[in-house]
Amino acid sequence: MRYKSQSVAYWYFAVAMVLFGLQLVFGLLSAAKYLGPDPLLYILPFDVTKVIHTNLLIVWVLTGFMGATYWLIPDESRTELHSVKLAYLQLILWTGMGVTAIIGYLFRYGTGNKLLEQPLPHKIVIVICMLIFLYNISMTIKKSGRFTTTEGVLLIGLFSSAVLFFPALLHYENYTVSIFYRWWTIHLWVEGVWMMIMGSFLAYLLIRLSGADREVMEKWLYVIVGLVFIAGILGTAHHYYWVGVPQYWLPIGGLFSALEPAALAGMAAFAYAAMRRSGLAHPNTLALHWTIGSAVFALFGAGLLGLAHTWPAVNKWTHGTLITAMHGHAAFYGAYAMIVLAMITYVLPKMTNRAENGTTLGYWAFWLQLAGMFGMTLSFATAGLGQVYLERIMGMGYLDAQLKIQVHFLMLIATASVFTVGVALFIYDFFRYRPHFETSEETLVTTTGHERTA
Amino acid sequence: MTNRQARIFAIASTAIAALAFLVLTLDSHRQFGELTNADAITPEVTHGKDVWHKYNCINCHTLFGEGAYYAPDLTKITQHRGDAYLTAYMRDPSKFYDEKIHRRLMPTQDLSEKEIADLIKFLDWVANVDNQGWPPRPITVTGSGMSSGVVAQRQPEGTTPVDAEDDPRAKGEQIFRTAQPGCTSCHSIEPGVDMAGPSLAGMATRAEETLNSPEYEGDATDIEGYIRESIVAPSAHLVPGEMYSSGGTSFMPTGYDESLSEDELSQLTAYLATLK
Repeated sequence: MRYKSQSVAYWYFAVAMVLFGLQLVFGLLSAAKYLGPDPLLYILPFDVTKVIHTNLLIVWVLTGFMGATYWLIPDESRTELHSVKLAYLQLILWTGMGVTAIIGYLFRYGTGNKLLEQPLPHKIVIVICMLIFLYNISMTIKKSGRFTTTEGVLLIGLFSSAVLFFPALLHYENYTVSIFYRWWTIHLWVEGVWMMIMGSFLAYLLIRLSGADREVMEKWLYVIVGLVFIAGILGTAHHYYWVGVPQYWLPIGGLFSALEPAALAGMAAFAYAAMRRSGLAHPNTLALHWTIGSAVFALFGAGLLGLAHTWPAVNKWTHGTLITAMHGHAAFYGAYAMIVLAMITYVLPKMTNRAENGTTLGYWAFWLQLAGMFGMTLSFATAGLGQVYLERIMGMGYLDAQLKIQVHFLMLIATASVFTVGVALFIYDFFRYRPHFETSEETLVTTTGHERTA
Repeated sequence: MTNRQARIFAIASTAIAALAFLVLTLDSHRQFGELTNADAITPEVTHGKDVWHKYNCINCHTLFGEGAYYAPDLTKITQHRGDAYLTAYMRDPSKFYDEKIHRRLMPTQDLSEKEIADLIKFLDWVANVDNQGWPPRPITVTGSGMSSGVVAQRQPEGTTPVDAEDDPRAKGEQIFRTAQPGCTSCHSIEPGVDMAGPSLAGMATRAEETLNSPEYEGDATDIEGYIRESIVAPSAHLVPGEMYSSGGTSFMPTGYDESLSEDELSQLTAYLATLK
């Protein structure tokens, strides 16, 4: 750690870890309900566990983004944060918002609008947190006078995330119109501006871990941003299938969604090329696992599994089935959970007394999570395929079809348990070393070629 | 490619994509009114939408295929079930489905009667939105597939088309699959497969038994007459069971005497009378 104020990142990460653990509790509960019968039917029904599961995901991933940004900005701009107090105030407000929202959901206090269920007061707190956050990092950069491309892409990503939240604050009389604008927030976040955030973290990590040339990495980053938006903006159309919008969104969705894997393939290639060209310039090989893992798993989950059901002629049959859950789990985990875990893994040795190259437990956490999530993806895929053929094509009733695919839900729970063990190990590994926030003058490794400095 | 060219690529492609997206958004707004029957969004429909949100329906069900995947899609539910059925269902779902059989059950939501009525109006508005013909085949709640739940809008591929020369019973079978509200979304023709309505397997045999039993109070005197009566006046004789009727009124939709012609009714009756 070079700047004292970077220590705020630790507390953001700590909150993210707790929420991540909680997300899995509600995920497992939801999965168990697929097997049924449900003893908690009138205490904690599926709709409640599910809304908490998805909301915790959004909150913890965003907490991770914020923490990682508070770490990255001082490093890139070579200065202390503008205000540590504001950063803590933001964390307290944000965590308070997240926790009270979850408690509210237990009592069905929410707007019932998928993924944007937060009640209005909570949405306003989200906006306030975003404003504090953007102000704080903008002032930090302004004060230092050093503004890198990585920061630029990150900052535009964060700014746009805040702007795109606004349609979620409005009220729409027409359900179809409300769906139309809901995706401006959700889709343009996850397949647009969050990709910029992911890309900039990826660039930051690759520059540090592989010692790749900054010029080359930042040029790549621009190309990826271009690819993300060519496909991502018009790719919103794949959420406009069958919801009551004009017909032309179908071919547009098909075409531009088919291009979406290009940016993800670009990111994976970008990570791989950096490693090939520059080798490993940093002892933290565990962070490298997470970094490359994120790029590859995002290509698989977001890119390929998205493509698998995005063509209108296919989606006509798969729309609204567990096929979507297959894509959703792998995509979110690969692109966003893993990149946050990569940042955490990179940062932790600098804030806690632990070996740079990662603990044995850390590697177990990585591989168990990967195996578990891969298994969960396959479980959803096989369950979804069964559902599509039985229910949508053969015309079997929904409830009867669900009974026929019970075996896949057993597989889901088994693999989700493996995943949970992986996450539990990660969280345990996170907290088992006390934080110590001493600044040290780290020399940036600038080795190139295949020379290793570990 | 230089750094500058890469930057221009990023900015230009974003700008072009965003511009195209905004133009299409404007054009969509021009068409929303017609596609979604915006005129039909009455205060009741809006209140029904609020009920849909208030009870967090979307985190189990899907609407337009969007939502959670734990409960059936409801996009076209009002085309499969009449108001009487949906009202009774919303009052207490456990009267209709058994958690021991299907391993999941909708918890009773304690909706007020006004909330139920408006929710059904909202769902009916949803069912009439022009959403490019999705779902391509009706999504039913129960049923074993193949012979049930297939309301063919057009002739399914690989089947012999029915034409005017055909046997009335063949034409009746066609009507059974295509009538609206769809017969097959509630009735199967397999023995024991009771859906929202009882299985029609063995219907002719049972009709005969019913006609001979002292409990029958309808006007029919023969099997075809009984079947015809059960189509056009479903409450004339009630099949026992809380999932089929309430307060002496059958949940089966009425109005087939108007939506089907006299010929069609006799063809449908002729077909159903073959189910011995």
